[in-house]
Amino acid sequence: MKHRNYHILLIRRLRHSWAALALVSAILLAACRQAYAPPAITNPNHYLVVDGFINIGANTVTTFKLTRTRNLGDSTVQGIPELGARVAIVGAGGGSWPLSEIIGTGRYASDPLTLDPTRKYSIAIVAFNGEVYNSDPVPCLVTPPIDSIFWRQPFDLNIYAGTHDPTGNTRYYRYTYNETWEHDAQLMTVWGVANGRIYAQDSTNQTQQCWTTDTSASILLASSAAESSAVIDSFPLLTVPNGDARVTKVYSILVHQYALTLDAYNYWQIIAKTSQDVGTLFDVQPTQLTGNIRCTSDPSLPAIGFITATTEQQQRILIRESSFTNWQHNQPAYGCDTTSIAPGYPDPFVYNYPDTNYAPWYFISGGPLVLASSVCLNCLLLGGTNVRPPFMP
Amino acid sequence: MRCRPIRLLLYSACLVLSLQARAQLEPTVTGNFEGYTFGRLTARIETVTGYRFYYDPADFDSLSIEMTLNRATVRQILDELFQNTDFHYSIDSGKRIFITRHVTIVTTLPARFGGPVSAPGSKGQAVFATDDEQPEKARLKQMLAENRVYDIGARTATVGQGKATVAGYVKDDNTGEPIVGATLFADGSATSVATDQFGYYSLTLPKGRHLIRLTDAGMRDTRRQIVLYSDGRLNIDMQEAVTTLRAAIVSAEKTSNTKSVQMGVNRLNIRTIRQVPVVFGEADVLKVVLTLPGVTSVGEASNGINVRGGSTDQNLTLFDGATIYNPTHLFGFFSSFNPDVVKGIELYKSAIPEKFGGRLSSVLDISMPDGNTKKWSGVAGIGPLTSKLSIEGPIQKDRTTLVAAVRTTYSDWLLNSLPASSAYNNSSANFYDANLRITHRIDEKNTLNIMGYYSADRFRLGNDTTYKYTNASTNLKWKHIFNNRSNALFTAGIDRYQYNISDSRDSTNGFRLGFQIGQTYFRSEFTFAPDNKNQVSYGLSAVYYKLHPGTYSPEGEKSLIVDSTLPAEQGLESAIYLGDQYSVNNRLTISGGLRYSVFNYLGPHDVYNYAPGLPRELNTVIDTAFYSGGKIIKTWSAPEVRISARYAVSENGSIKASYNTLEQYIHMLSNTVSVSPTDIWKLSDAHIRPQHGRQVSFGYYRNFLSNKVETSVELYYKWIDNYLDYKSGANLLLNPHIETDVLETKGKAYGVELLLRKTEGKFNGWLSYTWSRTLLRQDDPLAGQLISNGNWYPASFDKPHNLNFIANYRFSHRYSMSVNMVYSTGRPITLPLAVFDLDGSPGLYYSQRNQYRIPDYFRTDASFIIDGNNRLTQKLHNFWTVGVYNLTGRKNPYSVYFIQENGTIKGYQLSIFGTQIPFITYTIRF
Repeated sequence: MKHRNYHILLIRRLRHSWAALALVSAILLAACRQAYAPPAITNPNHYLVVDGFINIGANTVTTFKLTRTRNLGDSTVQGIPELGARVAIVGAGGGSWPLSEIIGTGRYASDPLTLDPTRKYSIAIVAFNGEVYNSDPVPCLVTPPIDSIFWRQPFDLNIYAGTHDPTGNTRYYRYTYNETWEHDAQLMTVWGVANGRIYAQDSTNQTQQCWTTDTSASILLASSAAESSAVIDSFPLLTVPNGDARVTKVYSILVHQYALTLDAYNYWQIIAKTSQDVGTLFDVQPTQLTGNIRCTSDPSLPAIGFITATTEQQQRILIRESSFTNWQHNQPAYGCDTTSIAPGYPDPFVYNYPDTNYAPWYFISGGPLVLASSVCLNCLLLGGTNVRPPFMP
Repeated sequence: MRCRPIRLLLYSACLVLSLQARAQLEPTVTGNFEGYTFGRLTARIETVTGYRFYYDPADFDSLSIEMTLNRATVRQILDELFQNTDFHYSIDSGKRIFITRHVTIVTTLPARFGGPVSAPGSKGQAVFATDDEQPEKARLKQMLAENRVYDIGARTATVGQGKATVAGYVKDDNTGEPIVGATLFADGSATSVATDQFGYYSLTLPKGRHLIRLTDAGMRDTRRQIVLYSDGRLNIDMQEAVTTLRAAIVSAEKTSNTKSVQMGVNRLNIRTIRQVPVVFGEADVLKVVLTLPGVTSVGEASNGINVRGGSTDQNLTLFDGATIYNPTHLFGFFSSFNPDVVKGIELYKSAIPEKFGGRLSSVLDISMPDGNTKKWSGVAGIGPLTSKLSIEGPIQKDRTTLVAAVRTTYSDWLLNSLPASSAYNNSSANFYDANLRITHRIDEKNTLNIMGYYSADRFRLGNDTTYKYTNASTNLKWKHIFNNRSNALFTAGIDRYQYNISDSRDSTNGFRLGFQIGQTYFRSEFTFAPDNKNQVSYGLSAVYYKLHPGTYSPEGEKSLIVDSTLPAEQGLESAIYLGDQYSVNNRLTISGGLRYSVFNYLGPHDVYNYAPGLPRELNTVIDTAFYSGGKIIKTWSAPEVRISARYAVSENGSIKASYNTLEQYIHMLSNTVSVSPTDIWKLSDAHIRPQHGRQVSFGYYRNFLSNKVETSVELYYKWIDNYLDYKSGANLLLNPHIETDVLETKGKAYGVELLLRKTEGKFNGWLSYTWSRTLLRQDDPLAGQLISNGNWYPASFDKPHNLNFIANYRFSHRYSMSVNMVYSTGRPITLPLAVFDLDGSPGLYYSQRNQYRIPDYFRTDASFIIDGNNRLTQKLHNFWTVGVYNLTGRKNPYSVYFIQENGTIKGYQLSIFGTQIPFITYTIRF
């Protein structure tokens, strides 16, 4: 009996407290998100970025690209070029080979040089603002030739590189590639439009066959360190998904191979993991870059880049869609709409149809002019060039 | 009415005004009369005051005086002495004092050992104000027990030679709840023992007559007089000390920090915990632990605590024996322990007893009450965020008791009320937890405990990602007493911690990521006290781990995510230990222990083998070995040493030193890049070595003002081996070869901890300051990467300065106020500084590891507690807590994170409670 009494009392008390609670809840509680921009981030963090390598091949040009980093909030798309710097290759035992600026680009190129591969070389940079940068002297490492670039297409297309170093010195490699593919207009036409007139295209201004070239976007690193011999037998360079528009006719890939020292390999590995994606659950942890370029005039200034002295090896292969099995041909995302208009009169080649999404496709003799979606007639609208690259069939 | 404190051991009272006025004119007595006989006391009073005493000495020969007087008049002394006894006194004009025994009282105090006792009648001489808080009955009971002489063992005509052991339970007289950590002093302070987690004690003494004094923080000191004939049992009830305005209770011999052999251990009972104001008035175990010296947390909200430069995973959090992997609720703002079912906490920072192991930094041992054995009672509370209800009581009187509690939140409204601009108004957060504990006393020698615990959290920040986690534990304990000198505790149980993160937007990226740790364990702990000088403990334990390190599955119909599940990991951690606490003499106590732990990493699992002498990377994998179920893949083992010593330099001061080594076989890595950190736990395996820690520490403890003020200085230095940190650009989630993304670092941590604490009085509280550093180093080039060029770098939880101030002031019985101030250096962070373009692709340039710090943390909270009433006799007690969290409104960052917005990267700091948060809670006890 006693217990029940307590119970009733309890409930009454609780009700009472709910009333009090209502008063409190009227006061809003706030979580707030503020911009976090400490001086470390907002200071002009324009650190020097050195991109390139010392080319020790016979009679070769060494090119470096110098840029500055931009702040996190800076929406400049590419790096800020470092103009007006003085750059030179310095030999460890003496000798200096200056690089001349390609005005306005931030690129610096040497004369064709033949450097002694038994010596060590470094890079010396005096930035436009007077900051002095020096790289560590690095030994030369000759890149072995590429043994083969080959592909397999179980379903997706996989492209591989293979190499080996008979001396066993080179165990680490970096690859870059340029891929070129032919992409043709969906609909055939001979007609083009210029200055309000329809004209017949020739091979110089054709819009039927286009070729697009792209460079590798990811950092490709290979190592034979764990192998018993210095052999890279099938390093996967890239995977082209089955049905990808890059391989509808002919696809070409030019692969560049550079030998790396272990230190350079480790550096590039970190660069490879450096991600601009931030804030999601699956992001990688922050990276830390320690290159071999230092600011000697102000040791507190970092510099980004890792200098190697090596040669470049390259090899190109062609891949034809016709040699694939079960390669899908996906319809493009855009559709090809058509319409027809009365041709110009009296001059049928006068063209002033206002909708530029359409272009002349063909004339029906005695009838209308048939128009189709421009994107289906002009492959240049999807990028690339209409000039056949010499290596493309 | 101004009251002058009269300090009395037995109880406290306040004189009425008239008496106070008279007291000014009469001669007074000041001094410590501990252990005086009545004759000696009267002789002293006679000397000081000129009074003469007339009495029969035979009446007083078993009465021992326990008094500390401060300008007390003779009347005050006598009133105090004879309160509730059958003695009368009268004072004539000639300053003669006649002491007589009331004729109507049948019994008197025993004149000889162990005389029969029955309750004396109440006599009530109304010079003292009636003290509601100490019911007459309880006071009489205490008085009676204290003045009675107990026979222990079979009574014989003469007391024999040699030693015997008295053992038993110390319990709260009111609730029957065992009192943990109460100290028993025999014959002054020559011999002392403490009660164990069941309130059990064992005291070996020479046969004969002894006075045993009991003290415990928050309980009224008491004493027992015994005659020890042979081994026997004595259960002792203690009464709760009701803090009053009128006088402070001062114990001559309390369980002070100078007396305990352990160093680097903090004990707090729930009464202390409740006094600290915390967010929304919810008493909170972890928040109070965070105010202790040497304890910090990474942020306002983080999954746990950092103790002495250790990481959060280096703490073993035991809740009634169950390991809790995530001890927090709601972004870490609440601990997942309902304060109504917390009895007390012990935090071991340096001298970690050998029975504990498996973590490097600390052991946080949280105990639950057994439950009221006498009557049903409970607590109901209601606040702006949580409601809770707990009940406890006897299912079967004096045999089976139950404690049950639930706590739940309705905090969604809080987040929904956030301004739309905060981007978090579409958030939600809620949690609940439930506890159940049943204690069954089979007989005098066997007790069983069953506990169950479940806590669950669910929160969503912004629109997309929902985080959920749960802790679930259950265990069974059997306490068996072999004899007065040895007993054992067997525990078997299961713990499970799991979390999952899901993105339930109906998109192609909808996913669910799950993670789970399960452990099954058995522990046996034996204690054996051959004599009072030695306290031997030994035992063995085994934990079987099963981790599901990641399941990733599509969520929603449109999701294109492909299922992937990492294989489970298994491990068995076993340990055997032996230790002894040896009292060399009154001043020097040494405690030494050895623990040997073995860890087996078990199949089924694939193991990658890497080329020897090369960094572990996918490129250096030589082959993969498959181990089938139950196969031992790798065994790690190590001895662990625990040594500590105390030396009492004076009555009030002692020095302590300790040396510890510990091993840890389970590691946590925090994925800190996202808004809400996600943790990955990993067992030591064929590649990841156990963490190994060594610590030396040294402390000086000094008490002032009759132990009312405690001060301590502790210094420590720690070496940590194989602490896991991530490599640059590591991928931690769903990584089947995590050994390629982590590094083993060396760590060192050192610091100074200062504590100033006033334990009693109207004004109490503490001030703690810690200066500490934790530095890590990775200088092995073979590991693949150097961090910070191989130099020492701060750990992500390195926070050099920590200051905590907690003060409580009691204005009256009904009103009290608490203030809490926290300052700490901001935690280190690795900042992205700039964007570079190299080889055609942009990348982020980061600072050196942990080179920068987020803004310092500072917060002040204040709360005001209003007691509805304060009569012990009243059936219902209720109180209000009103207060303000973050009084200064400082926007302390909960997390700092970077996201990509419109092609640029923006940094944000999120403060969840970045403004003054007023709160009010209502609690009712029945």
